[in-house]
Amino acid sequence: MKIWLALLALLAPATAMAAEPVSLTSKVFVERVKPGADGKPVTVREEPGVVTPGDKLAFVLRYRNSGGQPATGFTLTNPIPPSVAFTGTDDASASVSVDGGKSWGALASLKVVAADGTSRPAVAADVTHIRWSFGQPIAAGSGGELSFRGVVE
Amino acid sequence: MTRNMRLLASASVLAATAFAASPAFAAGTTAGTTVTNSVTLDYKIGGIDQNQVTASDTFTVDRKVNLTVSEVGTTTTTVTPGQTGAVTAFTVSNSSNAPLDFALVGTQLSGGTAAHGGTDNYSVSNLKVHADTNGNGSYDPGTDLETTYLDQVAADTSRTVFIVADVPLGRATSDVAGVRLTATASEATASGSLGATITQTTGANTSGVDTVFADTNADGNVARDGIHFDEDDYTILAASLTATKTSRVISDPFNGTTNPKMIPGAVVEYCISVANAANSATASGVNISDEVPAATTYDSAFGILLNGTVTGSVCNPDGASGGSYTGGIVSGTLSDIAAGVTRTLVFRVSVN
Repeated sequence: MKIWLALLALLAPATAMAAEPVSLTSKVFVERVKPGADGKPVTVREEPGVVTPGDKLAFVLRYRNSGGQPATGFTLTNPIPPSVAFTGTDDASASVSVDGGKSWGALASLKVVAADGTSRPAVAADVTHIRWSFGQPIAAGSGGELSFRGVVE
Repeated sequence: MTRNMRLLASASVLAATAFAASPAFAAGTTAGTTVTNSVTLDYKIGGIDQNQVTASDTFTVDRKVNLTVSEVGTTTTTVTPGQTGAVTAFTVSNSSNAPLDFALVGTQLSGGTAAHGGTDNYSVSNLKVHADTNGNGSYDPGTDLETTYLDQVAADTSRTVFIVADVPLGRATSDVAGVRLTATASEATASGSLGATITQTTGANTSGVDTVFADTNADGNVARDGIHFDEDDYTILAASLTATKTSRVISDPFNGTTNPKMIPGAVVEYCISVANAANSATASGVNISDEVPAATTYDSAFGILLNGTVTGSVCNPDGASGGSYTGGIVSGTLSDIAAGVTRTLVFRVSVN
């Protein structure tokens, strides 16, 4: 009986997710600079095979509205994982938080307050969360890709 | 940019995208750490909040093996010929993201340019590697024990290691003996014994913790081989002594002290001067013995003068009484002779 319940518990979230009309994936890649075909260095994204401190990472998020209706209030929230320092994103639409998700904004607008009350401008490594809030509905059948970069601490 | 990206609200702008330099991490995240990125998606359909959707991806931080051996200080170790237990110090650092053992080997250069210039032209003897057992950073004979490895060096820490050796006699100032301390990254499996030499994971990435060598090619090392060395040297600073014996006739029974001649009854003064060359080590305990010439008699009334000076090549009539005369031999011990200083021993005889 216990086993049966445990199985149910395992299955439950999976079935629930399968029923959602939107899909979401998170993939992490290691960015390495390698010589390209013309001999010039190019940055390639590889599966995170061998990863050591200092390696550059790319986090790629893919979403799709596979339902029949437009989705509104579409918000992706991604805490920066432990042992990873945020280094930036090419998506100008992202907002970040340096206080665990309490306040949000462009990095340049944020400040870090020290224990003694003094504050300093936030830097990339201070970022604790990154978030994308879509102002317009995601039409049925459409999707997209978002990414940010970090480095293994 | 995908087409749908245009749907994104343009209100919040993250301006900075070019972060030129990666932050520098010393040891970094411990090998074996699992890093999981989780993203959540909130949305509404028909204005009604739907179940939150989550997705995640995980990777494991592998082991980056990085070690450095570096000489403590930037100067040679100055030694005197015959010195025993001469010490050179090194720092062995573990910049890996995992604890390591280090196998240690002390070797000597055979010719070639030594760490602080000069050509390696002699070898020290009795070369041993000692750990800084009490961790105070300086060598304590009897306390800092001889070893062949460092045990359980934590990530991002370093230890001091000493090479201790004896210097042979008969070497001249500026002679150089180069020594090298080599550390090899080894598994820190068990405390109290040296683990196996670490090998780099070759071939495809494994799901477990892989090993990557990250040591540099500084100072002639081979990059990424899990081995690192540095060199130091022992430079001789010896005393460079020159002994000169001169004599002059002081008086004879007929001319007195005016143009005296070397005839029976004449008094002759002998001066033995010992000069220590410039840029040499101070010589101490310089002992002079000289046999009184045949057919002469030691002038016991004059005695022996020690530590006098020399002007040009002429001994000055100075110095203090000392030394001894026994069995036809004049002897005396001079005070310490610093570099560039000359000291004398003076005695007189009468010609039979």
